[in-house]
Amino acid sequence: MSFTSLSSAWLFALLIPLVVFYFLKLRRPRLEVPSLVLWRQVLSDQRVNSPFQRFKRHLLLLLQLLLLALLALAAMQPFLRRGADRADRRVILIDTSASMAALDRAGGRSRLDEAREKARALVDALLPGQELSLVAFSRHARRLTAFTDNPRDLRRALDELTVDDLPSDLEEALRTAQALARSAPFDRVVLLSDGNFPAQTNFELPFAIDYQRVAGAGPNLGITALEARRALGGRWNVFAQVDASTPDAAGGTLELWTEGAVIARETIAPGRSGGQRLSFTITDSGADTHHLVLRPTGFDALASDNEAWLRLPAARPLQVHVAPRLASFRHALAPLPEVDLFPGEEAALPARFDLVISDAAADLDLPALVRCGLGIIPEDVRPLVTVAPGSAAVIDWRRDSPLLQHVSLADVLFLDDIALAPGADDARLANLGYEILAHSARGPLMLTREEPAGLRVNLLVPTDRSTLPFRVGFPIFAANLVEAARQRAGLAGATAIQTGVLPARVVEPGQRCTITDPRGGTRAETADATGQLSGVPAPHAGEYVFTPAGAAPFRVGASLLAPEETALASIDTIHFNDRLTVSAATAEVRTDRPLWWPLTAAGLALLLVEWWWFQRRRTLA
Amino acid sequence: MPALPLTPLLAPRDFDRLARLRLQVARRFTNRGRGEHLATKGGASTEFCDYRDYTPGDDVRFVDWNIFARIERPYLKQFHHEEERHVALLVDTSRSMEFEGKLELARRLAAALGVIALRGHEKVSACALGAAAGAVRLKPARGRLGEPGLFRFLENLTAGGATPIERGIEDFLRQHRGRGTAIVLSDFLTTGDLRRAFNLLHSAGLEIFALQILGPTEIAPELTDDHRLVDAETLDPLDVSSSADLLALYHEYRARHEAQLATLCRQRAGRFLTASAAEPFERLVFDRLRRSGWIV
Repeated sequence: MSFTSLSSAWLFALLIPLVVFYFLKLRRPRLEVPSLVLWRQVLSDQRVNSPFQRFKRHLLLLLQLLLLALLALAAMQPFLRRGADRADRRVILIDTSASMAALDRAGGRSRLDEAREKARALVDALLPGQELSLVAFSRHARRLTAFTDNPRDLRRALDELTVDDLPSDLEEALRTAQALARSAPFDRVVLLSDGNFPAQTNFELPFAIDYQRVAGAGPNLGITALEARRALGGRWNVFAQVDASTPDAAGGTLELWTEGAVIARETIAPGRSGGQRLSFTITDSGADTHHLVLRPTGFDALASDNEAWLRLPAARPLQVHVAPRLASFRHALAPLPEVDLFPGEEAALPARFDLVISDAAADLDLPALVRCGLGIIPEDVRPLVTVAPGSAAVIDWRRDSPLLQHVSLADVLFLDDIALAPGADDARLANLGYEILAHSARGPLMLTREEPAGLRVNLLVPTDRSTLPFRVGFPIFAANLVEAARQRAGLAGATAIQTGVLPARVVEPGQRCTITDPRGGTRAETADATGQLSGVPAPHAGEYVFTPAGAAPFRVGASLLAPEETALASIDTIHFNDRLTVSAATAEVRTDRPLWWPLTAAGLALLLVEWWWFQRRRTLA
Repeated sequence: MPALPLTPLLAPRDFDRLARLRLQVARRFTNRGRGEHLATKGGASTEFCDYRDYTPGDDVRFVDWNIFARIERPYLKQFHHEEERHVALLVDTSRSMEFEGKLELARRLAAALGVIALRGHEKVSACALGAAAGAVRLKPARGRLGEPGLFRFLENLTAGGATPIERGIEDFLRQHRGRGTAIVLSDFLTTGDLRRAFNLLHSAGLEIFALQILGPTEIAPELTDDHRLVDAETLDPLDVSSSADLLALYHEYRARHEAQLATLCRQRAGRFLTASAAEPFERLVFDRLRRSGWIV
């Protein structure tokens, strides 16, 4: 035990005047009695004159001495050393991800409540000279308080903590803590979390970390995936994945709502695998938003994963531009449904294409979601490859690429031999952002790159000087290009929007828009010059109401859809880069424990005992 | 116009009830004077006792002539001899008796027991023990005519003396004559030797009826703090720090003191009783004394 304010020990000197004043003031009230015969016999009894009884005669003095000693001790601010080192500054990282809202039982408390309680215990144990900084993290980390020793500020920050319906990112939290060290050095971090994050963390710890894992939660059932694919006949196939945290989780009912009415309903009975995949077939009624609701039959630990929203795009034909010279491609694309080929018989060309396939570099400048160049070597690739007359065969290709799915390039011959330039290698192409889809013996044949305008596919040698158009895989390759364009145009399917940041919406350029979140909070955003309203945060699952100035409001639903959050998983050990592992502690954080308030409470209790002792009636039956 | 009461010590209705009661004595300490107590020797009362042979010189008035007529032998009828008892009422008037109505109860009890004795044709005397001016006595009186004198004597008793009760008993015995009963009304809180005083009473032919009167705070003292107790008689101080253990010991010693007094009385064929000064007078006289066998 140590003392923070040892100078207050002078208060013990007050014991001397207390004793002096006690005996000076001890003027006993006189009480005349008929006879002292019995009292003298009593006081001469050996039991009365035992040392203990003599001690009890001055019990009042003893209690007063004890009370003063307790108060003097409390003033010296003692604390109990419980750790090997005493940290003056400590950062508390509090997990506020979606899984922290999980309850342990119906009407019980959440994991965040327990983490808050542990943090509050640390605040209560704050000693003079010690400071804490609170950092909350989910996908993003935010500092709640700077380093402070003010318990009131710390408690208020803890009380205002809420859960974000987002997965947690431990690295983000640790980086934030690392940034705090630049302003105020510290050497210890307390991590209060349920451990629902990856076990491997790409971070080098510059400080010690106490991983305090909060207790487990009850069974949970939640929607972890929601998507839709267009089917023939103007219908949509909606796929939903429902997962359970434990095999014994209760079942439930899954309802699909459209325009205030249930259009489909399925019963959920999670088996031993803990999950169930369901599909609904709905007709395209023109409504763009669908609401999927999971209603568990029993206790459900997490409520934020019981709802999901899906926005289905309106159907339209795919706008495809194919150079007229590429007869093979036009022939392959012509029979595909819902594909409009350009240039066609119509004179007018759309302002924007979904897919452009051409062997002319000028065509590839057309605005499109997917552009495929044939025999065109991009400017930045030209220094890395050489093309010479000859023959080249495909020796390997990415069979897992969506563009080459079910496409066999075996025995395909190209009449141009392409090779890597001296000194060039695949890594340099990768540095430029290219992914090699097909290899010849000496160099790349097909490249792809994600560009701001869309996906760029480059077949570095022309197809009309190859055997590819005569292979079975050629129409499949063309269809894969169309499917990729359809995916990017949102015509093939749709995926529910996850919480985090809402996708950009197009409104009038410079238009101001008020956004109301599911919890009633509002914020205002202004669209950029192109009318893009982007970067709207969506930390909570639910519907966000966009109200553009002077226009009708519209809704965008954000769903949690995080399998790891629904699973309420937790890890015991965190592995860091430098082979350092940190295990979850089951005991509380070992901090120096202040003893002044127990001493003060003991003094108060002693005062009450003293009052009771001397005020009670001394009568025996 | 209602008649004035004889004494404030007793209510008028108490006299009739007391007149029907008698002291129940265990031993026959009687005097030669005629009274209502049967003597062990034959007497001239109207109550037949036995026959005996006639011897010359006997009073022929007691010969049973009917038996003589049948068997022609003279037999003499014998009768019980009824003698009186001397009932001495000893009231402690030391200063300790002035607390919490102890003396008041003692005076009323003495008056009640005196009425019982006087109406039972006993000879009754009274004495104030421990008085400042030594023992104050009431000369023996008999019959109802003695009641007013007894009442005046008891009404005029005041506490204030510091003489221990054992010395008061010795002073009383120096002037007392006659056998009977000594009714001692006191708190018996003395440091002196009560054994000697009781022996003197017993050897003087007095059956001891000891009634200890204690105040409520003597029976259950209330102490909530440190006090300096002062003896009312000797003015000696004693510092006491209250505690539950101390009070428990007090009760233990008080019970032991009562047991010792009871033993002293019982060993001398006497009776002992403890009463609280707060106890209702009627219940004490007409209930507890009867239940305890003091009066019948």
